[in-house]
Amino acid sequence: MRLEHEWLTFKGVILRHFKEFVSYRASVLATIIWPLPLLALNVYQYLGLASEQQVGQILSSKYGISSFSGMIILGTVVYLLYNRMLWGTGASLQEERFNGTIEALLLTPANRMTILLASGFSSLLEGAWWIVGVFLLSWIIFGVQPAVSDWGAVIVALLSTMIALVAVGVFFASFFVLTRAADQLATSLQAPIRYASGVAFPVAALPVVFQLLAYILPVTYGIEALRSTVVQQGTLAGLVWVLGPLYIFTFVLIVTGHFVLRRVEAQAKRTGSLYKI
Amino acid sequence: MDLSIKTNSLVGLLGPNGAGKTTTIKLLSTLLLPDEGTATVNGFDVSRQANEVRSCIGVVTGGERGLYWRLTGRENLLFFARLYGVREDMARPRIDELLKLFELDDRADDNVEKYSRGMKQRLHLIRGLVHDPPILLLDEPTLGLDPNSAVVVREFIKEKLQRNQGKTILLTTHYMEEADQLCDKIAIIDHGKVIANDTPGELKTGLRKTDVLRINATGVPSSLSSDLKQVEGVEEVKMSVIDPVTGLTELLVHTRDAEESLPQLTELMVKSGVRIRLIEQSKPSLEDVFINLTGRRLRD
Repeated sequence: MRLEHEWLTFKGVILRHFKEFVSYRASVLATIIWPLPLLALNVYQYLGLASEQQVGQILSSKYGISSFSGMIILGTVVYLLYNRMLWGTGASLQEERFNGTIEALLLTPANRMTILLASGFSSLLEGAWWIVGVFLLSWIIFGVQPAVSDWGAVIVALLSTMIALVAVGVFFASFFVLTRAADQLATSLQAPIRYASGVAFPVAALPVVFQLLAYILPVTYGIEALRSTVVQQGTLAGLVWVLGPLYIFTFVLIVTGHFVLRRVEAQAKRTGSLYKI
Repeated sequence: MDLSIKTNSLVGLLGPNGAGKTTTIKLLSTLLLPDEGTATVNGFDVSRQANEVRSCIGVVTGGERGLYWRLTGRENLLFFARLYGVREDMARPRIDELLKLFELDDRADDNVEKYSRGMKQRLHLIRGLVHDPPILLLDEPTLGLDPNSAVVVREFIKEKLQRNQGKTILLTTHYMEEADQLCDKIAIIDHGKVIANDTPGELKTGLRKTDVLRINATGVPSSLSSDLKQVEGVEEVKMSVIDPVTGLTELLVHTRDAEESLPQLTELMVKSGVRIRLIEQSKPSLEDVFINLTGRRLRD
């Protein structure tokens, strides 16, 4: 019975998000267009300095990266999905409040975590275009050839990264609801993550301090996992060192998000307000 | 506050702004925790069994918020039905029935953003009923509705929900006539305390021990109230300014015998320079009961 309720909640939230998403045509258009210049920016900042072969040689000899375009495309895809989580799931509760629907939502006996997780998966579905579209474009425009030796590993890497990103969204959502400045916070979290997780360059190119920072970000592990399996013939066994920390982060983020959300709701019940910051 | 509501009764919660009506509804619907004391709904404690409470209540608030504007009316209802754990094969026919009952069936597949305020309010009501809860908490359910829609909603609450379906209903309203017409019992609260709790008839009878003279006048000095109390038979005088610009003031004079007191009262007022606009002997209304108990009008 409880499981059926969870499923109904999950399905309800996903269908609602999808209907709302497609009802804003400008939003759909932006979702399609936005990744393209970002991808081009990441590629041409290299090609402005040297030819693709030269860049490829440097990356290969210095960092062991076999595909320059593949490195950038995979980094960009994960970063785009991260952004989707930040603005979609992260800001979802805040948006409910602005729309005046949060009270109606909290009046239901639905599991709050299920609502947030469903919101996260909705964001992934909306961002699925980025995975498919960007890959297709990368083949067409940049001639990227995937070097896959283990498709199972690719699927595991992709799913693990997606689940980790949902956890990131849940984590942010539970904190963003505490403040009226969620939009500003989300904006301020874009560039640092883009920099520190090595979206458009190898993390090894960063100063040591920032490399340490990079490895406390789940986005970094997601990018590494996909780069390893899609363009570097990585296998499942070789992914352990990446997926291990990724799962730990996923677990920690979900548990922390759940705990914070419960605290936030308890506080709202005591004070009549969600705002803290 | 000490208040208990019997199963299958319709109780009105009245009080001036800030008296604690909405806080009570929020507390009973688990949106707020009591600072002290306990509250139970359908036998479930609102603090410790919040989910059980949420499952057995339907909450309807007034206003335009609380709905997803980019979704159709039907999609909104299906969404909330799912969140209440109602299976689709049960939810869909119920939603169809409710949409028809509230005359929204022909607009059910329009986005809510295209609805009038009255339609949104009716959709709020349906949302509160979509999981068929035994208890309803209605916070200003007819707020902003045109008179015709308000009549439909009131009839539905009384006839369908209470009489036919046996629901237990707690209702807050700013409309005295609504409370008078609908409620089996009325609890008047002020400053978070229940100061009266009885049937509308009993509340009015309680006030009918004296005659009530309603006097509208201008140029009323502040000392008039105490002067009028000196007149033989006068037990109480309530004074409230109706129009601050013209100074139009309403006096409610409770006297043992209106006919006997009236000549002396008018003489005293004329001598004080008061210009009398209206004098009528009124039967106590629920509004009089309210003013007598709280010293304020409901809309104050």
